[in-house]
Amino acid sequence: MAAAACGGEAAAAAAALCAFSPRDRRFFAISGPDGRLRVWETANSRLQQEYVPSAHLSAACTCLAWAPPGGRPPPSKDGPQRKKRKSEVAEVDKQLDILAIGTAVGSILLYSTVKGELQSKLDGGHDNKVNCVRWHQDNCCLYSCSDDKHIVEWNTQTCKVKCKWKGDNSSVTSLCISPDGKMLLSAGRTIKLWDLETKEVYRHFTGHATSVSSLMFTTVKPMNENKPFDGITGLYFLSGAIHDRLLSVWQIRSDRKEKNAVMSFTVTDEPTFIDLTVSEVKEEPVKLAVVCRDGQLHLFEHILNGYCKKPLTSNCTIQIATPGNDGDSTPKPVPVLAAAFCSDKQSLLLVYGNVLQPIIEKVSLNTTESHICLIRDIQKVLSLKTDVAVTKVKTPVVNSDTKVLVPGVPGHSTAVKTPSSGKEKKKNKRKPGETEESIEERLGALDIDVSKVKTPGGLPQTDSFVVLLVQGLESNDAEILNRVLNTRKEHVIKNTVARMPIHAVIPLLHELTKRLQGNPYSASLMVRWLKSVFTLHASYLSTLPDLIPQLGMLYQLMESRVKTLQKLSRLHGRLFILVTQVAASEAVQDVTEVNQTAKLVYEDGKCCILGIARLLNSCDRQYLMAVRRVPVRVQSEQDVKVVDVSVCPCTLPVSPFFLLQLHPV
Amino acid sequence: MVAPVAALRVVRCGGSSLHGARAVFSADSKYLLCASGDFVKMYSVATEETLRVMGGHADLVTGIQLNPRNHMQLYSSSLDGSIKLWDFMDGIPIKTFTVGSKLLALYALASFEDSVFVVIPKSDTFQLVSVKLTKAAGQDLEAKELSVVLDDVDASPKCIAFGREGEYVASVKEVNLQVYFFKQKQLNRFSVSAAKTKSGNNQFSCVACHPTEDCIATGHADGKIRLWRNFCHKKEYTFSTLHWHHDTVMDLAFSVEGTCLLSGGVESVLVLWRNESDCQKDFLPRLGSAIEYISMASDGALCCTLHSDNRITIINSNLRFAKSIQGLIKSANVKTGLVVDPRTKALVLNGEPGHLQFYCLQSDQQLFSLDIVQRQYIHQAGLNQADLVKVAFSAQGKWLATVEEREEVTDPELQLKLWFYDEETQSFKLNTRINMPHEDHITDMCFRDMDELEDDSLILVTTGRDCVFKVWVMVEDTDPEGNVSWSCDFVGSYHNYQATNCCFSEDGSLLAVSFEETVTVWDSVTWDLKCTFCHPPGKIRNICFGRLTCSKYLIGATDYGFLCCWNLLSCACKIRLKVCSSDPSTTKCILGFAVFVFKPNEPRPIYIQRNLCREKIQLAAFVPRDEPETVGSEKHLWLRRSQLFFLTDTQELMTLSTKSLQERLTPSSKQLAVEESLPVTPFSLLLGKHRRQQSQEDIGLGKIIVRNKREQDSPAVKELLHTPAHVLPSASFLCPVFIDSLLISKEKKSAEEVADEVEMESEKTEDDSDEERDITEMEQEDTSPVELLGEMTCKLSKSQEKELRKIRKMDYSWISAF
Repeated sequence: MAAAACGGEAAAAAAALCAFSPRDRRFFAISGPDGRLRVWETANSRLQQEYVPSAHLSAACTCLAWAPPGGRPPPSKDGPQRKKRKSEVAEVDKQLDILAIGTAVGSILLYSTVKGELQSKLDGGHDNKVNCVRWHQDNCCLYSCSDDKHIVEWNTQTCKVKCKWKGDNSSVTSLCISPDGKMLLSAGRTIKLWDLETKEVYRHFTGHATSVSSLMFTTVKPMNENKPFDGITGLYFLSGAIHDRLLSVWQIRSDRKEKNAVMSFTVTDEPTFIDLTVSEVKEEPVKLAVVCRDGQLHLFEHILNGYCKKPLTSNCTIQIATPGNDGDSTPKPVPVLAAAFCSDKQSLLLVYGNVLQPIIEKVSLNTTESHICLIRDIQKVLSLKTDVAVTKVKTPVVNSDTKVLVPGVPGHSTAVKTPSSGKEKKKNKRKPGETEESIEERLGALDIDVSKVKTPGGLPQTDSFVVLLVQGLESNDAEILNRVLNTRKEHVIKNTVARMPIHAVIPLLHELTKRLQGNPYSASLMVRWLKSVFTLHASYLSTLPDLIPQLGMLYQLMESRVKTLQKLSRLHGRLFILVTQVAASEAVQDVTEVNQTAKLVYEDGKCCILGIARLLNSCDRQYLMAVRRVPVRVQSEQDVKVVDVSVCPCTLPVSPFFLLQLHPV
Repeated sequence: MVAPVAALRVVRCGGSSLHGARAVFSADSKYLLCASGDFVKMYSVATEETLRVMGGHADLVTGIQLNPRNHMQLYSSSLDGSIKLWDFMDGIPIKTFTVGSKLLALYALASFEDSVFVVIPKSDTFQLVSVKLTKAAGQDLEAKELSVVLDDVDASPKCIAFGREGEYVASVKEVNLQVYFFKQKQLNRFSVSAAKTKSGNNQFSCVACHPTEDCIATGHADGKIRLWRNFCHKKEYTFSTLHWHHDTVMDLAFSVEGTCLLSGGVESVLVLWRNESDCQKDFLPRLGSAIEYISMASDGALCCTLHSDNRITIINSNLRFAKSIQGLIKSANVKTGLVVDPRTKALVLNGEPGHLQFYCLQSDQQLFSLDIVQRQYIHQAGLNQADLVKVAFSAQGKWLATVEEREEVTDPELQLKLWFYDEETQSFKLNTRINMPHEDHITDMCFRDMDELEDDSLILVTTGRDCVFKVWVMVEDTDPEGNVSWSCDFVGSYHNYQATNCCFSEDGSLLAVSFEETVTVWDSVTWDLKCTFCHPPGKIRNICFGRLTCSKYLIGATDYGFLCCWNLLSCACKIRLKVCSSDPSTTKCILGFAVFVFKPNEPRPIYIQRNLCREKIQLAAFVPRDEPETVGSEKHLWLRRSQLFFLTDTQELMTLSTKSLQERLTPSSKQLAVEESLPVTPFSLLLGKHRRQQSQEDIGLGKIIVRNKREQDSPAVKELLHTPAHVLPSASFLCPVFIDSLLISKEKKSAEEVADEVEMESEKTEDDSDEERDITEMEQEDTSPVELLGEMTCKLSKSQEKELRKIRKMDYSWISAF
């Protein structure tokens, strides 16, 4: 075949050398320029088998045809058949497994795809290239036509020629059997309709200038049903010829006046593969998929109804191209080799790529666009497929750009909002003892704040750190921030935090949160900073009205981080509080000299906090001072929603959640 | 409205265990025969297709063996107590022999005429008996002639093996090895020390016999292989040990020549031991799952391994994968349930550990298996490894959500992965991975099934035992490419109850989440709790919304076998009934051994089928059909748009069929009866041409050549000509045979000579012709027979003849030396 000769053009080589298995399109057989026949599974585009005819180099494959389903009446119902019936096995819905292969030397091979071996060879019919083979749908006859101008009818059971007659004055290139199985269309340059019983010409159709390459019936029943149906009159069929960009539709009429084609479809290049859905109802349009030599696929949808002068253009054109973003920058077109409608008539099986290793994909068509370009990275698809051959294991792609959500990262979970949630209730029932401690902690914190501001013992280094930090936060300069935040020295951190301006606290917290989500090593450094921020600026933070949205993420992060050793970290937190309490009370002794009288006693608050405070008889005044600084009206015990004091990781004893949950009124 | 039971049939369509017996290759290694549940299946080795399913046994098939005297026939034994003889090429049962007791293994040997060996139970133990198969006519025969060969054998077919040419039989049980010699009628017993060594117990697990030598290989539970020799003596026996396996040796097989030994075990590595030495071994690793049986083809070119997950792997003799036949992969526990992939229309469930198998229902083949966990699976007992527990597809199959779980002592390790189907590369691509989406096991997961044209409508809901359900939505990333990823949008809970199930209504506006005994309904836009339903007793096991006309109904199934149906418009409970699976068109349900099918708006089931199979039904799913099937009866209209599949405990996949048997059978029997007329190969063409030419010459040369032709037809010449050149022995070996075959045998000649002697005087001419014949034969020794014959016969003059006659006299002596 001409197509096979110019094997350089991948698309061209596919012409008529591929076929889908009938009905459910489970297999796709394709014969490449190397003479090998390959059968692919359409569902997972996996090579099912490969067959090399013994004479594949001298007698190349020229045409293919799958045997129709239900080709033979079931065998006589005798003993073995009944035996089989008892066993209720769901028989695998096997397609008829015979593939007829016409060769360039005139022989026809029947290949069994189930057994994977050659079944028989039909010899002696043709002495030149076989151009087309067609199975009869009811009896297991096979029709073939050849360059030797003859049409041969084969009996495949005996592998003998049943009938042979001259079909044309030149080579016969295409065949098609009518839907009722009584007529045969043949085409060389002219199309002839034969009566299969008498082998006489019934009709002539002329119009193609070149030899016809494809013939297909598009209807099974005539569209106007007022006349009695004789099996052939009124039917439409389709023909395409080589080097011709028009597909013609003909109607078989009773009045013998079919001089011209009824209508035509125009495509961009010579059609190489045609599939259609046969319309059974009058209103149902015929859907036509035409693959052209240039690798494009054209889809037509048309209700066949008499003459149409103008050639119809396609409803939709599908092209495939490579993405062309890496390496070779320009997108390259990928030729479509074949296309077939699935049984639901909506989706389309597309075969594209290389003839030797095509890719089969199911595409559902629900767009109204007239031109679709599918981007397919065939290189990657093939590389994914290579190891599939035996094991069938597919490894999905896992890239580094995958988003990973771990507990604590935004998006992993949102705060529990529903009031009916039990979680919050539980939190409300916390012992007041914890409250007490955290207040104490706050006092301690304030204390340090005050004392540090007073004592000018801070290192000059810290000063510059503060400046750096503020600059870094303002300019969002990662380098500066790295320099500052990677400090390990506890006192440097403490001093820096103490001296930093109050407006930089929230940006710092955000920065810290971001870094906490990063790798665990940097997180351990950030925790130190966080600790000092919370100990030193707790009072400021508690004044913020939008504290919950600001620090909610941080809260979740901490909660998830301490989950693993919850009890231990709780104990650690409490111990730390105790220690700082002791330290604070010692500090109080020093500070009491400073005149820090309470100017305001908190009045509105219900006595709960005061009561708690009273327990801390050593630092009453400090407590009041704290209360004064917190512009919060504590209504009731319920309002003091203490989240777990010790939820913080081992290094963070002060709970920010105490602050968080003190709802400003 | 109970449908007549007869109208719908339960049909098996896949699965079923392949573990009954070793697989058997046909004599030409083109087909592989396997016992599969109650059936014997024939596969084509070349194409992996199931060619034939032979059914007829009423219980599990336990042994299959080729008939040693006819390689086109197959014996199969079953637990139902019968042995069947099949013509497997046509799939026809030829004979059925009823033995009476359960048959646990079958062995057929060429050296025993008309009898096979089977293992039958006898009180607590088992015994190996030989069964005489009567030659009487008729299909159903009784086989009552049993003779006990060995007592106290193991029930497993792997524990008995027959030695070379059937001279002895070896049987292992626990720590004992018994060898029985048939000719000598001698029974030798050997045992390994029962004491448990530190490496484990050394109980026998399997046995294999060398095909040509007196050597027995035994596998042990501690992974050792022992090779026993000299076991005809009770005391002086020897054994050597091979050790590679770390766990039980599951099966052993010798190669056809006996030079190699194959072993396999739970490690899923096939080990090839060469020359019975410990250091020369080859491996074929990563076979997927534990090897149960190993069998060799009779020509030694292929071997096949049967795996515990119902996979058959065919391996070349050079230890390369050749083919793999896999239907429904059996996994330890189908946690994912049965899910249908909308894109490939395949049934999706757990496959190999950590994989998701896509199983094609139409072709009973695995489409592919998707490696979700992507971690090396270590085959070791007691090791907790990550496995898939939940899977969900979005409506068009564009998104796939998987949950994998690894059991830990404290908390399970969970990962929720969201995969995007990348059309460009035609494969799934990981989009978002969420570690620990819930603090405890995830109980259910579902997508909001809306038309997916706008992606932001896509919502995933997961429910967990940590008492919350989480709503995940797609958000656009901040980076310029505008990629999407998933993040949590809402966390809901209800009274601190464990969330058990979730389901979206058809239009996606409502979400139903069940919390133990209560069903809550949420608005999917604002996430407000709309209403709750509670109907004790029993926790909710499954919920789903009705579809289409029944979309106002919410159906829930509870622990105690109640099915509740709530009308969402009136918030009233409509039906309470016993019976769990949802269908795209209406809603239908299933429980235990029986199947009930309901319409949500009718309190009576539209279909009930009890006791439809021996095993318990685990899961069920409705699979939409591509094209609506024509259903004859009005009662089965519910099967028109979809098909019901259910999976039993033994992982057999069943379906309900409305078609009558005849119709269902036609697809398989519709294969073309194409007569096999195989074309001749070029060589045989050449040979044929040669022969044709020869026969023409024969006609011309008359009698002499006719004789000659007869000689060419002698078996030795035939064999020589028909054997492929590469397998022929050396020429020096062939030469005498060839020459012998060309000569007229001595006895014959002497007889002829006598005749010649008698007739010599009277009919000289005839004698001449005899001589001529002899002469030509001598000539043939160094030249081709055909060419010379003609010339020789005509050229001989009288004097030459006399000379030659003399030669002939001495001739015999040296020729006979050959």
